[in-house]
Amino acid sequence: MKGTEARLARIRGRAVPRNHNARTIAALASNPGCARRAILDAAGVDKQRIAAFTGFPAPFGQSRFALARGNAFEAQLKAEGAAQLLALLREQLNLPIPKAHYDDLTEVGGNTSPELRHARTKSLLLGIARNTGDNGTMFDHPLLRLEVGGRYAYLEPDLIAFRVEGKFSVVEVKSFPVIDGQADGEKVAAAAIQSAVYVLALRDLLGDPGAVHHETILVCPENFSSRPVAAKLDVRKQLAVLCRQLSRLARIDDLLGLLPPGLTFDLDPDDAGVPRREPADLAGAIRTVGARYAPECLNTCEMCFFCRDEARDDTARLGKSTREELGGIEHIAAVLGFARGTGAPDPALAEAAVTLRAAARLRADVLGEAV
Amino acid sequence: MSEGVEILERRLDRLRVAVREAVIAGERDRASALRRELRQAEQEWEQALAQAAESLPRAGEPGVSGSQAGGPRAAVGGGDSPLLPLREQVYEALALLAVPAAPRLIATVHEAFFATTFPGSKLTSLKRDEERSFRTAPYARPYYICAALTADLLAPARGLLAVSTWPMECRVIGSLSPRVDFLTAAINVAAAVERLTQPVPAARRLLWRFAASIPGAAEDANRIDPRRVIHAAEAEREVHEPGDREARGAGARRAREQLDEVQQLFGAPLRTAATQAGRTQGRRA
Repeated sequence: MKGTEARLARIRGRAVPRNHNARTIAALASNPGCARRAILDAAGVDKQRIAAFTGFPAPFGQSRFALARGNAFEAQLKAEGAAQLLALLREQLNLPIPKAHYDDLTEVGGNTSPELRHARTKSLLLGIARNTGDNGTMFDHPLLRLEVGGRYAYLEPDLIAFRVEGKFSVVEVKSFPVIDGQADGEKVAAAAIQSAVYVLALRDLLGDPGAVHHETILVCPENFSSRPVAAKLDVRKQLAVLCRQLSRLARIDDLLGLLPPGLTFDLDPDDAGVPRREPADLAGAIRTVGARYAPECLNTCEMCFFCRDEARDDTARLGKSTREELGGIEHIAAVLGFARGTGAPDPALAEAAVTLRAAARLRADVLGEAV
Repeated sequence: MSEGVEILERRLDRLRVAVREAVIAGERDRASALRRELRQAEQEWEQALAQAAESLPRAGEPGVSGSQAGGPRAAVGGGDSPLLPLREQVYEALALLAVPAAPRLIATVHEAFFATTFPGSKLTSLKRDEERSFRTAPYARPYYICAALTADLLAPARGLLAVSTWPMECRVIGSLSPRVDFLTAAINVAAAVERLTQPVPAARRLLWRFAASIPGAAEDANRIDPRRVIHAAEAEREVHEPGDREARGAGARRAREQLDEVQQLFGAPLRTAATQAGRTQGRRA
């Protein structure tokens, strides 16, 4: 493991490492075959920075305003021992009145080191899970851990609630509004997969899958006010997807074995922090790690524009369904060649070539122009 | 009065031009002399402005009297410069709540009942200043704004301020204490609202904030009955109180036994946090 750590540190270079969080794990799980993302995340490389440096800045990440709004909303919910949140949980989970405990796990006696916080979270939650006494209801910012690609990532859910029937529920606070009972589907989906990451980590910590409820609670502002509203999210499907993807995630060691030994994404900063490395050189280094671009990457990955440019001639760039419609042919040039009837098809692709040729003819008949 | 201010303003303009010319010409001595003069003129301008503001008739805007809220007085001064130092304003708000509270709540309470407010962020350094003052001259002041202590580690509880004269049981925070303190604060705020002779919107808003999170306290922000809030909060507090009293009592006993004077007020030092956490875990396991 020590060798792996050293190797990853070398790949990262002198930059400050960025840690995995629920968002990055969710993104990684949505594209488990992408070695580039796996390596960059495991090494804690600032993807935004290197993408911008190679000339493909991605308008990615949360806006400052969204972050500020999210923090203010969460602070409001958690003020005075999470009074507002407790009222909501009483409504949603039918918490009995005596269950009103609140434990702040944001720091341990003023110390915020992740190891200490994780140890405290673990001792507190395990203690409560094992004896049936009434000694915990809400746990603010517990610190969980999940193994991703052979390494541990620390995760911090907004709140964990301990409910009546002896089960824990993950509570996720989000600042996107629920308007007229409807929220942005994409954002809810992202919240669901993030919550699933927390559920998985919590089950891992407790060592008992039955102790954590598969229904998580999403708390959002209602309409255009800052009044909170809660909804239950069933994350069983996300959990299944996540478990499968995480188990399929190639182990980092195996991936590292395929890379040239001297590989680094260091920007070679001078004393003032100005990068001295040639962008083309860095881009070359990035290309040595294989990527698997799909249009969905545009929503989840900072490297998306770099990879999309690289996948210029790749049918994957058009999305999975289009690629399948095109008969699984890898390159766009080959597809066009077959349609024009110029390419000499591989016997395995002969059928696809005939279909493409027919499609091109139909198109020409209807639109009066050739492909 | 305003004429004097205007004359001063013209003088300030002239002085600024003179400073700029001196600086550009590289005449350092002259520039610093002019700067001194400029600063003095600015001070005179501030004073003249304050006098002008005071001589204005103050119509409408009565400011809530402190006697109505049970506090000793009201800050009805010119808004920008409150009559009391920050620590005393914090004390007023905390005395009304009678429980450890977060800076934001303290500021809101002060605004609602004492008519002046301050940004909650101003309070971040207050505790540190109080600790320094206590260390140099212990008990020189009648009270100190201090920390609430977590019942398990006896470390300062994150983001809570308390008053040093309160009993230790009141300043120790167990896992039920945030709820019990919330209910106690609700009762005290409701009682203070009841004592008001005229309705103060900010105070009603504050009361609603409490009432909305207490079962059976109020249905509607426009029709809150302080008595009903008190009744509902007391009913819920009765449920939590025995457990909370036990945890707080045990924590307070340990604090008195284990901590020195400074630590009893401001919490055990952070560097021992790791070892203490280890000890607590050992005890739990």
